[in-house]
Amino acid sequence: MTTTCRWEAAESPGSSSGTTTPPPAPERGSGAAVRSRRRRGWALLIVAAIVVSAVAAGIGREQVIKSEGAGSLLDFFAAAASPRLDTEFLALTGTAMLTTLAYAVLGTALSLVIGLIGGVLSSQAWWESGVRARRGRRLAGWGFARAVLVVPRGIHEVVWGLFFLVVFGIDPIVAVLAIGIPFGAVTAKVFSELLDETGRKPYSALLAAGASKRSAVLYGLLPPALPDLLSYGFYRFECAIRSAAILGLVGAGGLGFQLALSFQTLRYQEIWTLLFALILLSVAADYWSSLVRSARARGRRRSRDGGGVRRDPLLTASLVFGAVLIALSVWWVGLDIAVLWSGKAWEFGIQLLSEAWPPSVGDTGVGGLIMLAGVTLAMSIVAITIAFALGALFAIPASTPAHGRDHIERGVLARVARKTAMLGSRFVLVVLRAIPPPVWALLLLFVMYPGILPGAIALAVYTTGVLGRLMAESVDNLDARPLRAIRATGASASQVFCYGVIPAAAPRFVAYGLYRWEVTIRETVVVGVVGAGGLGLLLDHQIGSFNYAGALTTLATLILLTLAVDFTSAAIRRSVR
Amino acid sequence: MSSPIFALNDVGVSYGKNTALAGVDLTVHPGERVAIIGPSGAGKSTLIGVLNGTVAATSGEVTALGCDYRRAPAREIRRSQHRIGTIHQRFDLVEQLRTVHNVNAGRLGSWPFWKAALSLLLPRDVQRVRAALDRVGIGDKLHHRTGDLSGGEQQRVAIARVLVQDPVMILADEPVASIDPARGREIMSLLLELSAEAGVTLLACLHDVEMALGSFERVVGLRAGQIAFDKKRADLTDDEVDALYAFERATDPR
Repeated sequence: MTTTCRWEAAESPGSSSGTTTPPPAPERGSGAAVRSRRRRGWALLIVAAIVVSAVAAGIGREQVIKSEGAGSLLDFFAAAASPRLDTEFLALTGTAMLTTLAYAVLGTALSLVIGLIGGVLSSQAWWESGVRARRGRRLAGWGFARAVLVVPRGIHEVVWGLFFLVVFGIDPIVAVLAIGIPFGAVTAKVFSELLDETGRKPYSALLAAGASKRSAVLYGLLPPALPDLLSYGFYRFECAIRSAAILGLVGAGGLGFQLALSFQTLRYQEIWTLLFALILLSVAADYWSSLVRSARARGRRRSRDGGGVRRDPLLTASLVFGAVLIALSVWWVGLDIAVLWSGKAWEFGIQLLSEAWPPSVGDTGVGGLIMLAGVTLAMSIVAITIAFALGALFAIPASTPAHGRDHIERGVLARVARKTAMLGSRFVLVVLRAIPPPVWALLLLFVMYPGILPGAIALAVYTTGVLGRLMAESVDNLDARPLRAIRATGASASQVFCYGVIPAAAPRFVAYGLYRWEVTIRETVVVGVVGAGGLGLLLDHQIGSFNYAGALTTLATLILLTLAVDFTSAAIRRSVR
Repeated sequence: MSSPIFALNDVGVSYGKNTALAGVDLTVHPGERVAIIGPSGAGKSTLIGVLNGTVAATSGEVTALGCDYRRAPAREIRRSQHRIGTIHQRFDLVEQLRTVHNVNAGRLGSWPFWKAALSLLLPRDVQRVRAALDRVGIGDKLHHRTGDLSGGEQQRVAIARVLVQDPVMILADEPVASIDPARGREIMSLLLELSAEAGVTLLACLHDVEMALGSFERVVGLRAGQIAFDKKRADLTDDEVDALYAFERATDPR
């Protein structure tokens, strides 16, 4: 499980280096006063932003609770005990599950191909080699490759999905491209950082012997970096399952699609069957991916300690299994890539683009657009605030800090209670993150009027699941020595917690919180499309009413907003470090 | 005399304010055996880099096998580079690959990309690789992972790579500095033997002065990025060699 933090951090757009988890670096004395002043400044600003966002989201101002919906929500949860389990519906659920799985598998496979090629092309190693010192051209090439990857990364899978639905109609290629392109761009960034950390000597030795750059990369750079790329691919697969389910909601088929149908007809028992299937699929993917990645992390530690590089049998077996899954997935969804160059799709695509250009502000006006951007921002801030608090709350029982592991704890009863609390909170976190935000939003709309708040809460619930796990892992990985030292003074467990765990873990919690904020602002689109408001809702309306010129403007606004959030988050993280 | 393999004319290399090489003139003719000696930090590795084209000269002219590194098109430079084999101090092999691939990597300069890619799945020209490994004495390690071999064995793999590359010139940058002395002497004599056998020109940077004086006809002394002397072994006096290192003792704060 330990590698998750690594990857999560590696993926975050603002982090300065790919693989460092964001622990606080020891700071130098001279800048300490400035830093602490800056930190206080940020803290004030954050509190102010949260208050403003809460007001903007309508907390305590509008009527948000739909009291008449409470009954149906109760009915809904009561139905959990009796999901629809007849053969016919189970067969349907199984089919949908396989489709979602197949989309996730194929999307991940595509993202790995894009990531591999894009990663090489956007690595410094690729551009900084050769006899002649043409610094300008190298920097330009590298910068261009990086810039090309920014846009696909900034656009959410669902937006890609809506776009490809227009171009290809209902076709399996929609989900595969919608997952593969943005995931591929993220993978490319992570992979380029991996490549640049790999020792470059063997690579330049090959170049010195006259090998072409392509061959030298193939022999000298890829073999050391490939296992890490593949194990990262398994992490992306875990995310791809959830994305595939969300894409189903917007019409791409699979579990999400069935969920949407059952929600429309309010068949609670069917919804539960489908939700259980989704949770099952997510948990299985989670488990597989963390198994592969923790084996890889052990191998990495061993080779760092001078134990040599070893083959990883689990990774090899998983790869073979993955290859079989890819073949089966192609067959199952009937993927036919010939549609990519079919004249009709091109015609639709070009028509769509020509209608979208030039972008227009539409009937909302610039002011309306700015207001919606503000509302979207407020939604993300409320969501991350709630998720941060709840995540930290769950992370505490879900973790086993190092000092507790080798310590004989009180009595048997206390140990059993502790273990139960740990397993219980881990289970809650798994369920929270297994169900994608739009499904949470649909559930909340039973008891709440559509608006910013249900969207924010839906995002918060899901993010709690992710953040809680990341936080628990960072507590697990704390340096045990200071904790033992405090314990040795005779301090109680709660005192150790206050004096040892919280101060050490807090900066990481903040770093993860900020990183998830960057993800959350992107995900506002997803709850937007089910009616939670903000730019996502506007975008959905515009695409639904064929107003592509307006949609392009909204999309551009969204990307700008995303970049602004990335930038702010990176700035805060720098001052926390 | 036949045309030179290397011709360096007033070559300088600097990284920002630091000067690694300055005003170096050096000509190497086919069939020569040249040892470069000098204290650490004298610029020996930089010189090797300039010769094999991995370090760009910031001033002066470098011509290798008739190809001007500063002006020739990239393709032509690569063709020259492919005829120059380099053996590195830290071997610089790809530890994750099997030995057969590491040896075959010496042929990447003459293989098209598709053949290089295919060979990773189905090794090509295995006979030739096996012959080279037999020649350096580790024929049984064909399918071992390179990272699992000992330092001496890895350097033998590196030599086998140069053998299949079939160059006209071998550059060796401290080839035995990372290996224990006994294995080091074995590898050095293997290198000398192989280059004599194939009629290949040899240029080696050596920290071990005894080794350099014992086996090379021409010795170049490098000090603080400049050439201190460039003489036939027979004309070289002990005082000149001592002066090379005395300089280091006088200025080195350690």
